Amino acid sequence: MKLSRALAISRKEVRHILRDPFTLLLALVLPVLTTIIFGYAIEFNMRNIPTAVHDGDRTLSSRTLLESFGSSRYYLLEPATGTPEAVQALSADRARAAIIIEPGFEARLRSGRGAKAQLIIDGSDNSAAGAILGYLAGVQSIAAARLLDPAPPPSAIALEPRFLFNPELNSRWFIVPGLTVVVIAILSILLTSLTVAREWENGSMELLLSTPVEPVEIIVGKLLPYTVMGLAGMFLIYLGARVVFSVPFAGSHLAYLLASALFLAACLGQGLLISVLLRKQQLSMQFAMLSGLLPSILLSGFIFPIEHMPLFFRILTSILPPRWFILASRQIHLQGAGIADIAQPLLMLSLIAAALVGLASRKFKRDLEP
Amino acid sequence: MNRTLQGFLRKEFRQTLRDPRMRLLLFVAPIIQLSIFGVALSTETRNVRLAVAPPGIVERDPLLREIHDKSLASGWFLPAKTPVSDPFEAIRAGRVDAVLVPPPGGLTRAVARGDGQLQLLLDATNVTRAQGVERYLRTIAATVGAAQTLVSGGVALGTPPPLQFDVRILFNPTMRTAVFMVPGVMSMLVCLLTIILTSMSLTKEKETGTFETLISAPVTATEVILGKTIPFVLLGISNIPLILAAGILLFDLPMRGSLALLAFAALVFVICTVGIGIFISTIARNQQQSMMGGFLFLFPATMLSGMMFPIENIPDFLRWLAYLNPLTYFIEILRNILLKGGSPELVLRNIGILALMAFFTIGGSLRRFRTRL
Amino acid sequence: MSEILAVEARHLTVRFGDFAAVKDVSFTVRPGEIFGFLGANGAGKTTTIRVLCGLLAPTEGVVRVGGIGFENGAEPIKRKVGYMSQKFTLYDDLTVEENFDFTSSLRKLDPAIAARRRQELLDFISFSRPLDTFVRDLPGGLRQQVSLAAALLHDPEIVFLDEPTAGVSPAARALFWALIRKLAASGKTIFVTTHYMDEAEYCGRIALMRSGELIALDSPEGLKRSTFPAPLYELSPRSEGARIRIPELKRDPAIASLEAYGIRFHVAPRSEPEWERALPELRGDFEIRRIQPSLEDVFIRLVEGGNR
Repeated sequence: MKLSRALAISRKEVRHILRDPFTLLLALVLPVLTTIIFGYAIEFNMRNIPTAVHDGDRTLSSRTLLESFGSSRYYLLEPATGTPEAVQALSADRARAAIIIEPGFEARLRSGRGAKAQLIIDGSDNSAAGAILGYLAGVQSIAAARLLDPAPPPSAIALEPRFLFNPELNSRWFIVPGLTVVVIAILSILLTSLTVAREWENGSMELLLSTPVEPVEIIVGKLLPYTVMGLAGMFLIYLGARVVFSVPFAGSHLAYLLASALFLAACLGQGLLISVLLRKQQLSMQFAMLSGLLPSILLSGFIFPIEHMPLFFRILTSILPPRWFILASRQIHLQGAGIADIAQPLLMLSLIAAALVGLASRKFKRDLEP
Repeated sequence: MNRTLQGFLRKEFRQTLRDPRMRLLLFVAPIIQLSIFGVALSTETRNVRLAVAPPGIVERDPLLREIHDKSLASGWFLPAKTPVSDPFEAIRAGRVDAVLVPPPGGLTRAVARGDGQLQLLLDATNVTRAQGVERYLRTIAATVGAAQTLVSGGVALGTPPPLQFDVRILFNPTMRTAVFMVPGVMSMLVCLLTIILTSMSLTKEKETGTFETLISAPVTATEVILGKTIPFVLLGISNIPLILAAGILLFDLPMRGSLALLAFAALVFVICTVGIGIFISTIARNQQQSMMGGFLFLFPATMLSGMMFPIENIPDFLRWLAYLNPLTYFIEILRNILLKGGSPELVLRNIGILALMAFFTIGGSLRRFRTRL
Repeated sequence: MSEILAVEARHLTVRFGDFAAVKDVSFTVRPGEIFGFLGANGAGKTTTIRVLCGLLAPTEGVVRVGGIGFENGAEPIKRKVGYMSQKFTLYDDLTVEENFDFTSSLRKLDPAIAARRRQELLDFISFSRPLDTFVRDLPGGLRQQVSLAAALLHDPEIVFLDEPTAGVSPAARALFWALIRKLAASGKTIFVTTHYMDEAEYCGRIALMRSGELIALDSPEGLKRSTFPAPLYELSPRSEGARIRIPELKRDPAIASLEAYGIRFHVAPRSEPEWERALPELRGDFEIRRIQPSLEDVFIRLVEGGNR
C-alpha cells in the first residue's frame, strides 16, 4: 500500500463532500442541530404542569392544600367550575392533571375521619404522567405538615435516597454523553454508505480499477476524510459537553479516546459494508438510515433504557455498537471509569468493529478481483 | 376527475407499487417498525437489580427483609447476583442499580428506637430510571412503615390516615408504554413515508428528464402538482388503517372516538406532509438531495413533536419549532381521539391548523413551480 | 404569401439574469420542411427549442409556431407541437403501453382515438414486441423510436427533436432518419438538432448557432458553397518530417485555413493563383488531392473557427 495514492483518493473524496451543498449541510448543520435539540429539548423534569382545580370545600384547609401544590413550582393551577369541567379540561388537552376537593374536606380533617383529595392524571402521555406521580409524595408531605395539627408522626421508616453520579438528577448529564452516538451515526454511517456506491453508480470505479491503485488504498483513502470528520465531531461534542452543558468528566481521557476510536471504526465499517454490498446510493442511504440512525437513537439506551426492554431485545442490542459506546461514555463521564472498568464495552466494540471492517474489505477485494 | 389526473394516478400507482421492495417498504416495514418500537421501547422502570448491604443482613433484620421481599414481589426488581459489601463500588462497576443500607444495628432495632432511617444508594446516571426506582421504594417503605406505626403507635386500628390522595390515572390507567408510543410512531411513519416518497418521485422526474416531457404537454401547474400529490396522499392514507389495525390488534390500543373524524384528520395531515415533500423536491436537484432534505426535516420534527418528550419541557427558545410542526398537532389529535374519545374543540382546532399548514406548503410549492414553468 | 409558416422567430432573445443564451435570432420554417439546427454545446440550440415548444417565454422578440404566438400563454403552442427532449423522455419503469396511456392522458386525448393513433404509430415504427415490455428492456434505438411515437401521439403539426439520436448505433440512426423523412413527406414539419454531420445532410435547410447568435442559414449545398468559394484540398503527409511543417504552413499567406482530420489535413487556399505557385514545393512532402467540402468542414470553419 502506498500512502500517496490513498491520499489522492482522500483529496477527491473531500472535494465531493465540499462540492455538494446538501452533504455539507448534513455534515455541519446536523451535529449542531442534534446537540441543541437533544441537549436542550429532552428534559425529564417537568415544570408548570397545567392542572385544573376544583375546590368544592372553599375553606382555609382546602386553600392551604392547593397552595402546597402551587408553591411547588411543578404545578400551574387553573380553577375549574366543577368536577366535570376539570375532567373536561383533561380530555381537551388543556390540562395534564386535575385536583378535586370535595365539600367537607376541612370538616373531615378536623374530626380525624381522614380527609381525601382526588388527583386525576392524564395517562395518555406516559412521560408526563410518570413525572407528575413522582412529585406527588413531596407535595403530600408538605401539605400534611401545614394542615395537620399536631404534625403527623414521621413514617416509621424514612427512606433516604442518595443519587450517585448525578445527585441533582440533571437530564443534561444523562443525555449529553450519549450525543456522540447520534452525530457519529449520521456523519459516518450515512455519509460513508454513499462513498463506494457513488463510484459504482458513476462508473468511476472502473476508472479507479484501471489504475494501479490497490483495494486497500481505496478503502483507506475513502475512509480517511470521514475519520477526520468523525473525530472532529467527537471533539466538538466533548467541548460542548464540558463548556456549554457543564457535564462532569470524572474518568480517564485515554479510555474515552479509545472507546471513541473503536466506535468510530465500527460505524465507518458499517457504512462501508452497506455501500459495498448495495452499490446504489439510494438504497444505501435508506438502509443506512434504517440500520444506523434509528437503532442508535432508539435501541441504544440513549433515551430508552436497555434494562426496560424484553429479553429478546436486550440480547439483540448487544450487537449494536452504539449500545456499548453509550455505556462506556456514561461510565467515563459520570462514574469516573478507567480502561479497566469499561473492559467489556471496549472488547465488544473491538469485536464488532473488526467484524464490520473485515467483512467490508473482504467483499470489496473480491469485487475488484478480475 | 379530469383525464390528466386519472392518468397521473394510474402512472404513480404503477411506478410505486410494482417494485416489490417498495411494497415491502410501504406496507410491511411500518408494521415491523411499529412492533419493534411498541415492544422494545418502554418508559416503565423495571429489571432494577436491588441489593442489600452488608451481605447477610437481610436474614437478621425482619423489617429490612419485609421491604426487600416486597420489592422483589412487585416485579420491578431483580435480586443482585453477588453479595454487595461496598455499595458504591458495586454500583460504579455496574453490578447493581440500587442498594439498601440499613442503619448500624439493623432497621428493625432502629425503628423500635423511633429512628428508622433507611439509606438507598442508587445509580442516577439515568435520570428517569433513578426517579422511578426511588418512587417504588418510597411507596414500599411507606407501606411497611405505616404498618409499624399502627402496631407500635397509639393510633387505633382501622383509623384512616389523616390526609390522603386518591390518585386516579385516566385514559391509560396501567400506564402502558405501547398505548403512549403507538400514536406517535404511527404519525412518524406516515410522515416519513409520504415526505420521502413524494419528494423523491418528483426529483426523479427532474433527474431522468421525463419532467420536460411532462411540461411540454399542455398541462397546467395545478394539474402537475395535483397529479403528483393525490397518488401519494392516497398511498399515505392507505397506511393509516393498516397501522391502526396493527396497533389495536397487537397492542390492544383503545379506539374510543370517532373513526370518521380520525380519518378526516389523517387526510388533512397527509395532505400537509405530501405538500412538504413536494416543497422539498422544488429545492432539491437530485433524489439523494431530496432524501437528505426529507431527513433534515424529519429528524427535528419527530424529536420536537411531543411523541416521546412533552412539549412543555422544551425550553422557550426551541418550543416555537414544536408549534410549527405538523406532527405535534396530529399526534395530539391521535391521542385525543384514540384514548380520550375525541374532544371536538381540540380536534377541530388542530385540524384547522393542519389545514392551514397544508395550504401554505402546497401553495408555496405551486408558486415555486409556476415561476419555473 | 398566403401560406402559414410552421415556425417563425423574429429578433428572439432569451436572457437568464445577465447571461443572454439566445441573441436576436430570426428565422422561418416552412411546413413540411426538415429544419436542422446545429451548433456547439451551449450555443443556445436547446434554449431556442424550449421557447418554440412553449416551455420558456422569450425575453424579447416574437415567436409564432403554427401561426400562434405567446399572447394567450404557452398552452396553445404546446397543443401544436410534439417534443422529444435530449434526455430520455419515457418512464423506463413503465411498459410501452403504460407510457402511451400516460402520454394520452397528459394530452387529454379521447381513449378510443388515442388507441387508434397508438396502433398507427407503432405500425409506423414497425414495433413488433409485446406492448407490456418494460421500456428499460428495449434496446437504445428502439427506445428512441418509441419516444418519437409518443411525441407524435397527439398528431402535432410540428415536431421538435433535440438530439434524438445521441448515443444510438449507426444502423438505428439510419432507421430513425428514414422515419423522420417519412414524417416530413406526410406533411409534418421537423425541427431537429444534431451533432452528426451526416444527419445534417438530410435536412432541407440548416441553421448554425454560435454563442447564442445565428451565424448561417442555408441548405447544406448552399452552406458549402458560401463557406468554401474556392476548392478544398486534402494533404496527406508523406513522412514525419512533413508533419513538422504544418505550423509553418498555417502561417503561409497562400493558405486561408488548415484543419487537421485524423492524419490528414484539409486546406482552403486564399486564391487560386497563389495556391498554384505554392503547389510544386508542397508536392514533395504531401500527397495532394482536390476534395468536395463536407458539412463537417463547414461546421469546423464557421462554428469552431469563430471560437478561436
